[in-house]
Amino acid sequence: MAGLLAKERIIAGPGFNRWLVPPAALAIHLSIGMAYGLSVFWLPLSRAIGITQPAPGDWKVSTLGWTFTFGIVFLGLSAAVFGRWLERVGPRKAGVAAAFCWGGGFLISALGVYVHNIALLWLGIGIVGGCGLGLGYISPVSTLIKWFPDKRGMATGMAIMGFGGGAMIGSPLANLLINHYATPTSVGVWETFVTLGAIYFVAMLCGAFGYRLPPPDWKPVGWTPPAVQSGLITKRHVHVGQAWRTPQFWQLWVVLCMNVSAGIGVINMASPMIQEVFGGKLIGVAGALKDLVGDQRLQVATIGAGFAALLSLFNIAGRFFWASLSDYIGRKPTYFIFFALGTVLYAAAPSAGKIGNVALFAGIFCIILTMYGGGFATIPAYLADLFGTQHVGAIHGRLLTAWSVAGVLGPVLVNYLREYQLGHGVPAASAYNTTMYILAGMLVVGFFANLSVKPVAEGRYMTDAELAEERRLAHEGAGAR
Amino acid sequence: MTTPTTPVKPSASSWLLVAIAWTLVGIPLAWGIYRTLQTAVKIF
Repeated sequence: MAGLLAKERIIAGPGFNRWLVPPAALAIHLSIGMAYGLSVFWLPLSRAIGITQPAPGDWKVSTLGWTFTFGIVFLGLSAAVFGRWLERVGPRKAGVAAAFCWGGGFLISALGVYVHNIALLWLGIGIVGGCGLGLGYISPVSTLIKWFPDKRGMATGMAIMGFGGGAMIGSPLANLLINHYATPTSVGVWETFVTLGAIYFVAMLCGAFGYRLPPPDWKPVGWTPPAVQSGLITKRHVHVGQAWRTPQFWQLWVVLCMNVSAGIGVINMASPMIQEVFGGKLIGVAGALKDLVGDQRLQVATIGAGFAALLSLFNIAGRFFWASLSDYIGRKPTYFIFFALGTVLYAAAPSAGKIGNVALFAGIFCIILTMYGGGFATIPAYLADLFGTQHVGAIHGRLLTAWSVAGVLGPVLVNYLREYQLGHGVPAASAYNTTMYILAGMLVVGFFANLSVKPVAEGRYMTDAELAEERRLAHEGAGAR
Repeated sequence: MTTPTTPVKPSASSWLLVAIAWTLVGIPLAWGIYRTLQTAVKIF
């Protein structure tokens, strides 16, 4: 088994088609992307004992929501801790480990639901599954960058698009399964966890076994590296142990953290926000949300869900679009667009709400969400440009701690500010205005962090001897690039 | 172990494998996008 997973074993032969690698990466990312769809379980789980309605001893939705928070925190931690290991053992072994963690995490959580133990639920999908998220997320990054030296952004964008799209498959599938398994004595969630765990395990194993590494010195037919390169694109390599000591690493850490904090805050509040800002206007009647009754509230809630779905579509489209565009205009200019345009759009959102223009308001957030997704998808190529490709997976893993921080910071900031505003008598329709201005401010911070990115100092790169030793440890040929 | 590094064009049959692999991931993704679009159109 160990030999089957060995890095040496997955070196592609001559004539291997590199376009087989992105679907392998997508199989893993589409599976772990269900992390974004976990909320589909919280309502049924909040009546796991009462079945038809919450009963004493049932979990609160806020308690269940910690599963997602643990998942994102452990995603960042495991990516940071295991990134170096991944570079040594290769993507297949890491992908298989991710499959065991993510699929196994669902099984542990199923047991947690079955015996009604919240700690087991958190341990399963949150902690063990979170480690699977981290390993699975970074597993294809350096492989794709090596296969697509001519299209680094597009290649990683395709894989990371899968992470955005995972919930689109997983959420409706989970709903179908919950309805299928629900009985008078069970809400159908533990059975759904077992089924999904098995599906994700198989899909991720297929992806992991589809990974191939390019042979030493491989390059696409007919492609020659540009003779003159931008100062921000290096042909040399920085060791992961050095990379995180450079200012460039922390500048990109801030870039990712600010971009994600702002976007994740919007994703969390999308549905209630559009309902509270426009209220009855969404269905052509006068009055705020609190003034609506029965069926009207239901219609408005449906539109809120539609808005959240629309944003998720733009989120995944942005991952592919912006990352691909960055291959042509460069990574730094791409992030300039994210932060400059994003700041303007966040600052304009309250005005769109004030004038009651639903289409403008929705359009603003759709563009914002493309840039949120684009920020995730473009960062691996930015890292490869600055630090080289030798340790890019490990460096990316450490950078993902910014996501862990943003996963807590963004929602907490947005929810706290909303509660604070409402508590001080601000009408619900205006409760998001200050939040938008603060999120715009966070993007200004990101703008300056991106502005300050300069080429890595000469002394930070590995010497030829150090690089050769790293390649020996990574079981790569002497001439590998 | 060394592997030839001269660029070699992928074989014609490999494109069939590519089509199968993309179909396997594309079908569930397309289904997910379709379901999401069904929800998203309610905003219009």
